[in-house]
Amino acid sequence: MNHGNALSLVSEGQRAGLLDQREAVRIQYEFLELLQELIGRYTQGESSSVSVDTAERLLASAVYAVDAHLKSLKAPGEAIAALKSADIRTLHAQGVERIRQVLEEVRRLYLEVRKNRLDVPVDAYNATIDEALPAFLKKYDILFDAHNTMASIDYPLAVDDMRLQGVFYIKQYLERLHIEDQFCRQWERDELIRLLENYGRVCRFDYRIELFNIFELVFHHALFSVLSGGDVRRILISPVQYARLEHLFIHADAAAVEAMIPRAVDGLLEQLPPQEPGTEDYLKQCCPDLVRRIVNAAEHRNLQAVIIADRQERVSPAVISLKPGGGMSDARLRRLLDDIGNSESTEDKVRLIRENFQSLHDYLDLLESGCLYGEEYEALYDAFGEMELAVLCKIVFREELRGGTAELADIIREREETEHEWQHQLIEYMKRQDDRRIRTVDEWIGRIDYEDISFY
Amino acid sequence: MNQLSRLLTTLSLAAREQHLVQLLELNERTAQFGLTLAPEDVRQLMAARSETLRHYGRLETGIEATKELIEAFAESPFINRDNYVSALHELQELFYHLKNETEDEIGDSRLIEIMRDCFDRECGGSLELLRDKMEEYAAAYRFEAMRERLDEGEDDE
Repeated sequence: MNHGNALSLVSEGQRAGLLDQREAVRIQYEFLELLQELIGRYTQGESSSVSVDTAERLLASAVYAVDAHLKSLKAPGEAIAALKSADIRTLHAQGVERIRQVLEEVRRLYLEVRKNRLDVPVDAYNATIDEALPAFLKKYDILFDAHNTMASIDYPLAVDDMRLQGVFYIKQYLERLHIEDQFCRQWERDELIRLLENYGRVCRFDYRIELFNIFELVFHHALFSVLSGGDVRRILISPVQYARLEHLFIHADAAAVEAMIPRAVDGLLEQLPPQEPGTEDYLKQCCPDLVRRIVNAAEHRNLQAVIIADRQERVSPAVISLKPGGGMSDARLRRLLDDIGNSESTEDKVRLIRENFQSLHDYLDLLESGCLYGEEYEALYDAFGEMELAVLCKIVFREELRGGTAELADIIREREETEHEWQHQLIEYMKRQDDRRIRTVDEWIGRIDYEDISFY
Repeated sequence: MNQLSRLLTTLSLAAREQHLVQLLELNERTAQFGLTLAPEDVRQLMAARSETLRHYGRLETGIEATKELIEAFAESPFINRDNYVSALHELQELFYHLKNETEDEIGDSRLIEIMRDCFDRECGGSLELLRDKMEEYAAAYRFEAMRERLDEGEDDE
């Protein structure tokens, strides 16, 4: 169902001479009678007036239902014929019934999607399946608010049609999500998670809390695998494959890439088992975007942000003294904070901290407790190695580091506002460091995964 | 403007005559209290109603509330031939104001009953006092409704 509606159809019908003035007024009057009836049902007969907002919502809901019926009539001219021959109340009742059927279909689709969901720690994806969609199914109001999509769906699809509303939007969303998930399920989970981790590392963000489409990433890398002569069952691109792809794209013009990608899709589909209905079309719809991205990245020589190469080495959180999780008890933390506060010299404070604090969580409690002053921060940061500074910088500059292109030195220079004193002191401290140390910290930032340092 | 107001503009003329007739028919019942409305009184009352509805952002497709107000207050010992029309103007305006202020939570009949009761008893027929008392009532009502909502929210958690 698109955004055109029965009332505009009346105006258009009049302009085209398909409806006369008398018929148009009759239809409008019947809509008003329907609205009156809906107001009565909405207020359960207790109020003859409602706020204009409520009236508009009730009318939009009624028009949506009539549209639901009219759009189900396939032959051209049938909608106008229905408006001419049937009264609006009947068309509305038929539309409400159609919406009810679609809602049932949506419930069934939702169960299917939930059953076949991907096992990935991506918040937006999981919250959409666990919270937003059930909230829609619980709250959707067929009669009084049918046009309202009333769901805060955060997880973006690869191809979305936001012109749809209400239950028709959710139906389309679920159908497409189903295609996407079924496609992604053809690769091993470990492979998928590793691709996600690599993606987060390259873009310097925590993929678990970012809004991005998983399917697109998988689809693109499956294509890259085919294009670089790799195994279709692999979506991890080795450095050798990456080099091959880089050579391929840099030496191809836009037209060549445009021809190459759909061919690669055909190649991919030939090698994969038969797909869910609609998958092939869906993949083809994703091609133009991918072509533009490749052409643009090849032109600017930053294909590494489009083709995520797999990197073997990875910093284990164990080697970082700021380890995630495993914090001390509140009582012990309070005692230590008191001791630190009572220490007379900066050296004593730093020693107490270095001897007793290991977990990142505890370090943040310490830094945010305000028990250090001015130069004491500098003494503590001085005691840290580059890896530890990288972890703290990754927290403070989380937003600026997203996307993965900015240099740490520039970020430090430009950043002024901070939430906490320790962050302000860290920025000032980093500004005083020489280029070589900042570069080393920057390199560490690129190597530490967010999943290893998340603690909030 | 949106499709709702276009719809209403197209059809308001047809409804206006119908409303006039319906309100004049009420004279038969209110005449026993010595109260009647002339066609011009009704036209002015309807014009004031439209303005009030517009002012308060409300929509009413019929005139049930105005009819109920007339029937309820015509019986009041404090309404007479001299203040009848002006009182209806004020009562109508106060009624829609209170519908908004009580967030549509009180049905028309119940709200009119509360207004009439307050007017006759606590206010001794003073419309000015009625407005003050009903403002207090609406504020207390909203506060209570908010507390209930918060309690429900806590229960849900």
